[in-house]
Amino acid sequence: MKQISCEHETDVIQALRTGEWTSELRLHVAQCQDCSQALRVAEALGGEARRAEIHCNPPDPYWILQRSRRMAREIAMLRMTRLLAVMRALAAIYVVAAAVWFLRGYAALQFREVASAMHGSASMFALMGAMVAAAFVVAGLWPILRQSGVTGSGR
Amino acid sequence: MEDASMIAGWITPGREQTAAGEEGFRRLYEATSRPLWGYLQHASGRPDVADDLLQETYCKFLLSKAPAMDEAQTRSYLFRIATNLLHNRSRSRDDSALEEPPESGVQSDQDARLDVRAMMRQLKPRERELLWLAYVEGMSHAEIAAATGLGAMSIRILLYRARQKASGFLRPQRIKS
Repeated sequence: MKQISCEHETDVIQALRTGEWTSELRLHVAQCQDCSQALRVAEALGGEARRAEIHCNPPDPYWILQRSRRMAREIAMLRMTRLLAVMRALAAIYVVAAAVWFLRGYAALQFREVASAMHGSASMFALMGAMVAAAFVVAGLWPILRQSGVTGSGR
Repeated sequence: MEDASMIAGWITPGREQTAAGEEGFRRLYEATSRPLWGYLQHASGRPDVADDLLQETYCKFLLSKAPAMDEAQTRSYLFRIATNLLHNRSRSRDDSALEEPPESGVQSDQDARLDVRAMMRQLKPRERELLWLAYVEGMSHAEIAAATGLGAMSIRILLYRARQKASGFLRPQRIKS
């Protein structure tokens, strides 16, 4: 297999960075086309890097820390919001399942017989009970649905 | 030069909330932010992009759940985050234009700078990254592979090609004594 770069290239780059040149390495660079080419590119880029450091004005690390803390809080909030969304979905599934179960059970009681047996105060009492139960369900669901609407429109 | 024992006490990601962690982060930042900015600026070709990505790199580092690392691993990890951010950005936007800051200094310096900038403009982002990591940061092929996500075996040939190409854009150098 053809060797595509000189094995001393890393030593040359290291010597350029540290300034510690051996006479053998200098001699090698003078004779090796790969190493002299690498040195040329490295010197050009090194000069550019030094110039870049002069122009570089990184922000105070305090702001980085503040920003990372803010991001951490946002991530935690997002995770919590996702958890709440899952709980909401489970609650909705539970309400639907409970309603289906209740209606099926009620139908099994042979509604007509029950309805014909109820009259006067008994039917009024049953109707009021159903209305109170519905009011409770709606009152419980209303804040959840409203919150979902706000979160959904805020995205 | 940073003392090795101090560097060993550099921050563990996620521990920046403590005073010791904050001090560790400051030391880490002082030691790495300028080289990292230089890398980002030359790989992206834009100082404004480098400013943005520098902050993002450290934020991601602080939020990461990586285990405790020594100096070399931390440096390599930071360059890896920066490289990933560069790739994400280049996939989503067109940041190909290299900005030309106002030139200053003696004529030969300006010439050299123009030379290098012209060379960088001709290279692909991946080639700029490889050359910078190898020849400015002095990273080994394994470290470059870790930072760029490329296979360690392919670094040698990619770097060789990038160097050949870069060399072609540089004017012959004056012999230094």
